[in-house]
Amino acid sequence: MTPVKRLTALAAAALVGLAPADLLARPLPQVCETVNSKLVKLFGAGGFARLNNFGAGIVVSPDGHILTVANSLIDTPNLVVHLPDGRRLKAEVMVVEPELDAALLRIVLDGKKAGEPTGLDLAFYDIPAEAKRPPAAPGTTAIGFTNQFEIALRDEALTAQKGVVAAYAKLTGKLGAFDFPYKGDVYLTDAITNNPGAAGGALTDRTGNLLGVVGRELKNTQTNTFMNYAIPVGAAVDVTVKENDKEKTVRVSLPDFVTRGMKGEYRPTKRERPTAGEGGWAGIVFVPNVLARTPAYVEAVLPGSPAEKAKLQPDDLVSFVDGEPVGSITAFEEYLRTRTRPGGTIRLEVRRGGSLQPVELTLAAPPARVVVVPPPKK
Amino acid sequence: MTRRRIVRCLRVLALAAVPVGLVAAGLAVPAPVAAQPPAAAAPLAIEAPVQAAELDRIAVIEKVSPAVVAVCQVGGRGVGSGVIIDPEGYALTNHHVVVPAGQGGPVMQAGLADGVLYDAVLVGHDMLGDVALIKLLPKEPGKPFPFVRLGNSDDARVGESAFAAGNPFSVALDFTPTITFGIVSGVNRYEPLGSRPGGQEYTDCIQVDVPINPGNSGGPLFNMRGELIGINGRISLEKRGRVNVGVGYAISINQIKNFLGHLYAGHAADHATLGALVLTENEDADLARMVVRQILDDSDAARRGLNTGDQLVTFAGRNMSSTNHYKNILGTFPAGWRVPITYRRERETREILVRLQTSQAAAKEERPAPGGPMPPRPLQIEPPAPKVETPASKLFRPAKGMANAYFNDLASDKLLTAVKKHGDFGAAGGTWGAEGTFEAQDRKGDMRLEVAPGTGDDAKVTLKLNIEHKLLPLKQTDPREQAEPIGSGGLMMALYHYHRFLTVGKKGFEGEFLHGGSEPFYPPAAEPAPKGGLAATRVDADVMRTRHGPVTCKWYFGKADAKLQGFEVYLTKDADPCEVFLSDYRDVGNGRQLPHRIECRHADKRYAVLTVARWALGGN
Repeated sequence: MTPVKRLTALAAAALVGLAPADLLARPLPQVCETVNSKLVKLFGAGGFARLNNFGAGIVVSPDGHILTVANSLIDTPNLVVHLPDGRRLKAEVMVVEPELDAALLRIVLDGKKAGEPTGLDLAFYDIPAEAKRPPAAPGTTAIGFTNQFEIALRDEALTAQKGVVAAYAKLTGKLGAFDFPYKGDVYLTDAITNNPGAAGGALTDRTGNLLGVVGRELKNTQTNTFMNYAIPVGAAVDVTVKENDKEKTVRVSLPDFVTRGMKGEYRPTKRERPTAGEGGWAGIVFVPNVLARTPAYVEAVLPGSPAEKAKLQPDDLVSFVDGEPVGSITAFEEYLRTRTRPGGTIRLEVRRGGSLQPVELTLAAPPARVVVVPPPKK
Repeated sequence: MTRRRIVRCLRVLALAAVPVGLVAAGLAVPAPVAAQPPAAAAPLAIEAPVQAAELDRIAVIEKVSPAVVAVCQVGGRGVGSGVIIDPEGYALTNHHVVVPAGQGGPVMQAGLADGVLYDAVLVGHDMLGDVALIKLLPKEPGKPFPFVRLGNSDDARVGESAFAAGNPFSVALDFTPTITFGIVSGVNRYEPLGSRPGGQEYTDCIQVDVPINPGNSGGPLFNMRGELIGINGRISLEKRGRVNVGVGYAISINQIKNFLGHLYAGHAADHATLGALVLTENEDADLARMVVRQILDDSDAARRGLNTGDQLVTFAGRNMSSTNHYKNILGTFPAGWRVPITYRRERETREILVRLQTSQAAAKEERPAPGGPMPPRPLQIEPPAPKVETPASKLFRPAKGMANAYFNDLASDKLLTAVKKHGDFGAAGGTWGAEGTFEAQDRKGDMRLEVAPGTGDDAKVTLKLNIEHKLLPLKQTDPREQAEPIGSGGLMMALYHYHRFLTVGKKGFEGEFLHGGSEPFYPPAAEPAPKGGLAATRVDADVMRTRHGPVTCKWYFGKADAKLQGFEVYLTKDADPCEVFLSDYRDVGNGRQLPHRIECRHADKRYAVLTVARWALGGN
């Protein structure tokens, strides 16, 4: 079909109201350019084992506020942002909401105090406005924009991948051995958007409207396969919190997180029950779990924890738990999560120096907040 | 059975029926609302533009499919893909495909969508860029092959639709290509050298979400007009096995075009370096500036005036703002090419024309190793004699530095035949004379030239530019004497070689007589310099390389008319050549055309312009 004919067909289709949105919209290359101008590359903690020190973020204010995923990337005072025009700037974390797996950052210019107006005047997504749209239905064209595999630096454009919204459904994911904290609705796509470093990118529709924030590399708890998901721009979850010994339910939403977060008024939700596992808690910090079967070497014991009371020491190798051999850190954590409960007792045998030492631990309930262990310094 | 039970059974069935992707997505599948068996759905009325777009797509796929190649070992075992780019059956593929396909030798087979397995032979390759050219042999002599058109990959934009064709997993036993469809995910991507020896570097490549899988390697990436924009060859992998995870890379066709002349001429093509270490001035800076940190004294870039501390502004017309950009653009050029570079020193910006040097010699200087040792450079390995004999084995001749010297002979013969249109000088091997005028920097006057080939080694060149200069090119071996007249870089030696090239040809160059592939040629610009800088003066040329005695020459023939535009004469390897530019061709009798304007340049300076009034060609 010649371009003229096609135009005629489009015009005719438009007249009778038949033309699908996808074909009438601006050409996709133009849309990609616009979307890319509202996204940044992020560089932070990681860079060893399989912890990526790169990701992406969505600009949510002209002044340089950035919405991204609350993963280990941001656990550093040396966050770096690459703007779409290639400028390299510093950023800091303002607030994190684990219930939404979201983090809000802001760009800090040299010579200016954090929070001072930056005068950057960046292209941005207005999150409350984007959230007003109803969720996109399955079958809607969806485009992922991410910095997976750290392909883009400086002014290079993020990776664009096209697919459809496969479903809008509750997330049942797990991160390693742990259930994933976010339990709300997500977009699932048939495009393979969630590769290493993809987290914090944008999922948009065919016209560049923001659908959600591309999530991490998570596995589905039912099939143990990787998922391609994004947390919707209007994500909202109900969380039970304890206040003055009374349980109450609060609604946590992404637009509210961004709006109040930018003003510095947002307080992260303190959940009554921890999200990380249902089993007992020993308070052992293991060496970084970087191998398929990392031996369960103790790196540290947390103060006041059962492990400290039982006098576990750094460099102890946890060899047996209740008589069963411990093959790896993952296996030990799995054992705690599935076979123990707070208040229960486990019997460990640890290799210390040349000999096996029996140790008995009375497990506790995990502390109210998930402790983020900073990555080891290189 | 209760109603509830029925619902559950349906749920199980429904789950089994959804595509794997959906199951993997971990849906909390809602119970179907109604449990009645569904009626057969009426066909949907598809909107006209959607239908039209789909028909267009089908038509384009049908158009290009016949030219898609399944690259196989002799016997038909599939190892990769390829695509035919001209009616003679020359096809592009990956270097990493032809190695296993040839099983250590140059012959292989290639299946087309017509279901026929053709014999094929390796023509040329670019190991570092992971590109190879093969030639299919027609079943009937002279029968043309279906082929595709080369596009312009610089026009590819993120978000544009694209499709790949090939034979992933060797699924098609009848070689019907598998088509996969998606979008361009990124352009001007840099994919570094693999960690293994003999690794490949993908520079300025196209990233796609088009599914590329094992077996797609070497196959074409098309835009929706059916133009070839890349050769698929790589995918990003991490923890999910050796299958596509939505990130594939194609070598851009524009990079391949730069190497195509070398590939057709049977070369084992070599990539270029600048001979300088160029890094971002400060990784932490707001905006990156590319700065020359080190430069080799004997590099052409240094001789053209580039120095440490200079800021690289553009390289071959592209802005330089990151290390990726620099590596990207540098990696698209073959060694020996000249590219325009602009650099800034203090407040002055200058444009220079730099000869890129081979990456082999300068590998150490070019590549900084900030994060540990760099992977070793791939070694150029001569292909061993064919192990398997097929009719294609006749189209193979091994030679040092060549992928297949048979095709170099073919390319030189073709070029020299075309050159003969402008005159056959074979019967004019005697003494040549020319009279006219000359104009140099600060003087002008009458010019008289005589090139006498003599017999044995008593060849003699006389050039009178007011003063008379004489050279016995084979007896006077002192480079200083050979470089006379002073400031010309060896104009008399150049004219001796010019005479020899035209009258003796191949037999006169005992050291080397090769087709050197394609290179850009930059005739000296008129004053004032044209808009658009050096790039505006560029002429695409086919090159012959010759060596006679210690002197090597490069001869540049315009691609359009096979006319000799000029030549460079190197008295020694690492010094500036004498550059001779030929124009104002006129008939001198017997259908022979000779230039009547000869400009000689050396080391960025014009030495002289000779204006010939009359040529006198002596017979044998």
